Amino acid sequence: MDTVQKEHERLLKKLKGSEGIQNVQSTIDLLQSARDTIASDPTQASITMAKLQNPVKSSFDSINDSLKESHSSLNKYSKALDKFFKDRPLPSTEHDALSSQEHMINRAIAMHLLRQGQFSVAATFLSELAETKSRNSQQTTEYNPTNDATSLLDIDEAPSDQVRKQFVKMYYILHELKENKNLLPAIEWARENRDALETRGSNLEFELCRLQFVWLFNCEQYPGAPLSAGRQAALEYAKREFHVFLPRYMREVQQLIGAMAFCPNLQSSPYRNIFNNPTAWNDVSLSFTREFCSLMGLSADSPLYIATTAGAIALPTLLKLQTIMKAKRTEWTTQNELPVEIPLPPSYLFHSIFVCPVSKEQATDQNPPMMMPCGHVIAEESLKRLCKGSRFKCPYCPNESHPREARKIFM
Amino acid sequence: MAAELTSTKLNAENHLLLDQPLLRLPHELARRNFKSVQRVVEREKENVLPALKDAANNSLSGSHTPDQTLAALDAMLSRMQGLKRKMENLQGEERKVQDQSKKRIQYLESLHQIPSLVDVKYDEWSRTRLDRLMVDHMLRSGYSESAKQLAQEKGIEDLVDINVFVQCQRIADSLRHGETKEALQWCGENKAGLKKSQYNLEFELRLQQYIEMIRIGDKKKLIEAMLHAKKYLTPYMETQSTEISHAAGLLAFPRDTKAEPYRAMYSSVRWTHLAELFVRTHHELLSLPSRPLLHIALSAGLSALKTPSCHSEYTSSRSNSLSTTTSVCPICSTELNELARNMPYAHHTKSYIESDPIVLPNGRVYGQERLLNMNKNVGCIEAGTIKDPTTGEVFEEGDMKRVYIM
Repeated sequence: MDTVQKEHERLLKKLKGSEGIQNVQSTIDLLQSARDTIASDPTQASITMAKLQNPVKSSFDSINDSLKESHSSLNKYSKALDKFFKDRPLPSTEHDALSSQEHMINRAIAMHLLRQGQFSVAATFLSELAETKSRNSQQTTEYNPTNDATSLLDIDEAPSDQVRKQFVKMYYILHELKENKNLLPAIEWARENRDALETRGSNLEFELCRLQFVWLFNCEQYPGAPLSAGRQAALEYAKREFHVFLPRYMREVQQLIGAMAFCPNLQSSPYRNIFNNPTAWNDVSLSFTREFCSLMGLSADSPLYIATTAGAIALPTLLKLQTIMKAKRTEWTTQNELPVEIPLPPSYLFHSIFVCPVSKEQATDQNPPMMMPCGHVIAEESLKRLCKGSRFKCPYCPNESHPREARKIFM
Repeated sequence: MAAELTSTKLNAENHLLLDQPLLRLPHELARRNFKSVQRVVEREKENVLPALKDAANNSLSGSHTPDQTLAALDAMLSRMQGLKRKMENLQGEERKVQDQSKKRIQYLESLHQIPSLVDVKYDEWSRTRLDRLMVDHMLRSGYSESAKQLAQEKGIEDLVDINVFVQCQRIADSLRHGETKEALQWCGENKAGLKKSQYNLEFELRLQQYIEMIRIGDKKKLIEAMLHAKKYLTPYMETQSTEISHAAGLLAFPRDTKAEPYRAMYSSVRWTHLAELFVRTHHELLSLPSRPLLHIALSAGLSALKTPSCHSEYTSSRSNSLSTTTSVCPICSTELNELARNMPYAHHTKSYIESDPIVLPNGRVYGQERLLNMNKNVGCIEAGTIKDPTTGEVFEEGDMKRVYIM
């Protein structure tokens, strides 16, 4: 990369100092002065013209020289690029499994734009999609009327208006939360979805209300107001709102109310973490986003982002594999599974993964993990191979059991 | 948790696989630009120098009056002024291209300053990359308005090549509408590059013109067609002899013929084919990959992330949308789920599970600590009982059983 950068700097410098145009200008000047001489004194015509030959020629030569120079610096930069990308060819484009599923990629992009809150880009994109589609379906009707039905079928491929509205709402709530420190829209949303959130075991509503309490307590709304005013407001808020939380969050509510007693010197009290937590707002907006997306069945971070990033991380390994396979002329035999392990950062691992310790194969629906009574787990196929229908010893402990006793487990 | 399963190491040099076109394309543009400069200079040189010589000789021999000499000089002057103007334009272009390259190099260089894949800066960098890839995909599919808007909102205009793709799209569209003019003009501008191309774009375009002349079918046009063939097709005799003989044969077949290959030659599908051929040639000349980079990144990423659980009929106990303690797996999220269906899943040689697994009577495995935490949050559950967050079933706490996974 350094060489590329250096060569490019050199190229830029050359470009800035390029004399090509100056040389052209000097040719023009030569011609112009000759013209002036002849115009003022026609008798000088032939001699001026004769004198003009060599200078003009040499100025053309110097134009060419400066061109040659910029050519050589272009070439050097070319070479630097070639060298830099030599071991990094673009991945082969032989089989593109995705190009047939363009509409689903477009859908994912539209969703990503909505998730990022880029509503106007998303709107443009969707309308351009619709335009192309209507154009295409017109064409198909012209050429082949029978195809029309299929193009109408997948009308749902674009994210529905419903989803868009949800995201607009989410961004409105987040905006209020982050920019205006206004928790009320978020609390209202959490209240509307209380049942769903509760079954998920989410604390969101309480967390929001607690933050609201802290916010009132600290009097962030009216800086400079007396402390007691904030305390009063917080207390009233607690009286009004906290009773719904009592069964679940008894302890936390007690903490909040207990903190009142420490009011003047809260900073030295055991409660200071609750009342002075610089990341609280950020945390709460993150958990809000996660809950909001989860209720729509979506992951909190854009899948498109995670997948492309994982792809970029995986590509060097896959490329190496491709080169090796080409060199050894082998094909990869496990069609459903990548032939190499791709190390990703831990945050890119989501599901639990079970690899059978006997067969070293990953468990699938067809070959699920089975737990023997001793608590050890192997894949079903390994189990069948080991037991041959009768009692057998666990490969990992002295325990013997019948295959009937093994139970399918879900990771 | 196996150490080799995860890695946060970032090897910047290796990481730049998807970014080659970012520097290649402006460089190809710069080279093309340079060739144009060379060409105009050469042309003027060949014109002005002999003209100057002639003028001098004529003036010397007295066959030209001073006025005529002046006129000759004026002609030369105006040519040189034209040259200067052209060069200034081209140099301005080149400046723009190289300034853009500089920004791109800086962008790529900034990756080298990022220590690891879990760094916040990497996240930022990678988001910009995704924006770039999305713009690339949009441009290739012809959604240029969206592309422009996205690039503008994200402030990455210098990292994407909107104009190049818009021009490419325009020419391809003109071909789809049965116009060869713009495409041929483009061929003229890229003569040198086309010589190395593996496609015969120019030949195919000329052949199409010939076919259109014959399609009209009156005598005058037929003669014109033959002249056209002589001028533009015969130079390709060595490489395209079969096509040329088919072209000659076409003269004998009417428009509605059913005989192959003449029926195919008359077919309007040829225009679509020409448009595709143009796009391929265009991308080849500018060192652009033939398919969107987003597809390349995405297909690798889908496989790297996919697990057998993602399309299983049983809900996975972890990273499903039913629990708050883990985030939803991106492959299971509705956006990518269908897309990933036919992809191979990632290869693993070691199990990857929480360190304190227990199994519930219904066979579901959870990390004990996580399960207990989740239950504490859910509340409203009798002491001594455990609720399965995935299925909602309630069990006695004593029913949890340790499970050993090697």
